[in-house]
Amino acid sequence: MAKLVLPAGLLVLLLLGGPMLLMLRYSFNVFDPLFLMKQAFTFENYARAVADPYYQKILTTTILVALACTALTTLLAYGPAYWLARMESRWKSKLTILTMFPLLVGGVVRSAGYLALLSTDGLVNAALRGAGIIAEPLQLLYTPGAVIFATVGIVLPYMILTLASVIESIPRQVEEAAANLGARPGRSFFRVLMPLSLPGVLAGATLVFILCMNAYATPLLLGGPQFQMMAPAVYEQFARASNWPFGAALAFLLLIVTVILTSLGSSVIARRYRAG
Amino acid sequence: MKSLELVNIRKDYGGAVAVAGMSMQIARGELVSLLGPSGCGKTTTLRMVAGFVAPSAGSVLIDGRDVTRLAPYERDTALVFQSYALFPHMTVAQNVGFGLEMRKVGRAEREAQSLEALRRVRLEHLADRYPRQLSGGQQQRVALARGLVLNPAVFLLDEPLSNLDAKLRGEVRSEIRALQQSLELTTLMVTHDQEEALTMSDRLVLMEGGRVRQAGTAQDLYERPADAFVAEFVGRSNVIEGRAEGGGFRTACGTLLPAAAAGAAGGSFYAIRPEKIVLAREDAGEGVGGALREILYLGAQTEYTVMLGQTPVTVIAATPGPDDALAGLRTGDPVRLSWPGASARLLGA
Ligand SMILES: Nc1ncnc2c1ncn2[C@@H]1O[C@H](COP(=O)(O)OP(=O)(O)OP(=O)(O)O)[C@@H](O)[C@H]1O
Ligand SMILES: [Mg+2]
Repeated sequence: MAKLVLPAGLLVLLLLGGPMLLMLRYSFNVFDPLFLMKQAFTFENYARAVADPYYQKILTTTILVALACTALTTLLAYGPAYWLARMESRWKSKLTILTMFPLLVGGVVRSAGYLALLSTDGLVNAALRGAGIIAEPLQLLYTPGAVIFATVGIVLPYMILTLASVIESIPRQVEEAAANLGARPGRSFFRVLMPLSLPGVLAGATLVFILCMNAYATPLLLGGPQFQMMAPAVYEQFARASNWPFGAALAFLLLIVTVILTSLGSSVIARRYRAG
Repeated sequence: MKSLELVNIRKDYGGAVAVAGMSMQIARGELVSLLGPSGCGKTTTLRMVAGFVAPSAGSVLIDGRDVTRLAPYERDTALVFQSYALFPHMTVAQNVGFGLEMRKVGRAEREAQSLEALRRVRLEHLADRYPRQLSGGQQQRVALARGLVLNPAVFLLDEPLSNLDAKLRGEVRSEIRALQQSLELTTLMVTHDQEEALTMSDRLVLMEGGRVRQAGTAQDLYERPADAFVAEFVGRSNVIEGRAEGGGFRTACGTLLPAAAAGAAGGSFYAIRPEKIVLAREDAGEGVGGALREILYLGAQTEYTVMLGQTPVTVIAATPGPDDALAGLRTGDPVRLSWPGASARLLGA
């Protein structure tokens, strides 16, 4: 067995860790207009990424958008997840698969779908004008709202499925016991269901937050030229500026911030609920 | 005044009938057991009282008030779940105090009452534990305390002993009964264990196929079963098919049994309890002759199976001592069975 596991393990390690290590190494190199990259060991790229107001603003936008999307997604997903988890009919498995369905289509395609939905001659504007609610088309596209709206739509299935599986593991009798002891639905939710589903909320929120921090196609297609987020900025360094060391440093900055925020968030929320 | 009253309640699931029109009343402080075979509608009835299942027809009255349309949290019932359903993220004390918290009882008062309830089930020393740190029997008692502390108008128990081992079951059984009596709780208990029902209840309601077959005290059901189903379900009974004839009862295979003194005239079933039959050796001269087929030694008692023609009859008697006339009996020996006609009943199907 060990003979088989070892080569496979090494391959996995190489696949997972190889590119990361290479990028980490690159992030300490220096950019050279002529040779593109020179071997070095400097923190210059990181210093620039942190100090440059331009990138500070992009990072701030990214964090705010990711936080907003995570909060919205959690709020929106809880109801459907609960409904799905507690469903008894034969539709349950079909609906679960249906929830997974959007994941079969890549984020780029779905972002394009939101583009068609929100543009000035898109579906939403057409419907509003048809109903006589507005005279002139609304500028929905190329706003932070459009990016948040579309990102939430794209990550929603992950949240619903994660939450549903955790809620399913909470015995229904526990909720019935709360009702039997006099808890109205609201009290029952905050005192019983919410604390017991917290692991699911944390897992889902962490997953969604990471996805949002790294969102690429949605901000690019729906945010417009003025709206910048980190993943497109990283891509630009690699593809347009050909500045690999700086691009790698930006990518690692994004990674570090994501790790810090997710672990901070989970520990704060977990502590808060354990105390209550 | 009746404390709990079910008026012709009924529950249909699609085309299937779970409860087919049940009426019963429980007086204040009384413990009534709902007994019956699996799938007869016991749990459904209990859940209709608690408010988790909406009756298709009929009504539920608690202390004279119609609660049929009220949500579970608006009813003054406390249900002890078969699975206990304790809140895993709360300590024992918080679990017990939960109902009081929902009734907006202040913290100090809540803690005092929870502790008192825990003292009643002798668990006050475990107040700060979490449910997962307790044994099954302890969890069961926390679930009881969680209901008791509210002094509910109706206390509901769904097979409260089914998850406990045999020894603990006996203990908890008398504990529940003692608590219920000292607090004078109006209680409806579901069980499919007839021994549990016989020993714990003031009255029993035997259900079958969503209907009440017979309701009454343990003695009523045991001594005066309404039909063959009741006779076989409550305690053990020899139920023999045949018909009344002259001064006796002729079994399907032709043996004549002593005339039954009570029951439904013209009934085609003859019921006699195994412990009412006297077993004697062939030479006793009295009684119905048969052949001994099986001897089961049960310790204090011995169970004999005797063939009267093709009809097996079970007899339970004290295990004979060494000098007893029955001491040397072996399978195959000819024996005689006798019983007073007053012990036997004629029953309908
Ligand atoms: N949610 C439901 N949907 C459809 N049928 C149901 C539902 N709940 C119960 N039934 C049916 O109703 C009948 C009565 O069920 P119930 O659970 O009340 O039986 P029970 O007497 O408690 O049985 P047991 O001793 O096995 O617990 C059964 O035939 C069951 O299959
Ligand atoms: Mg049941």
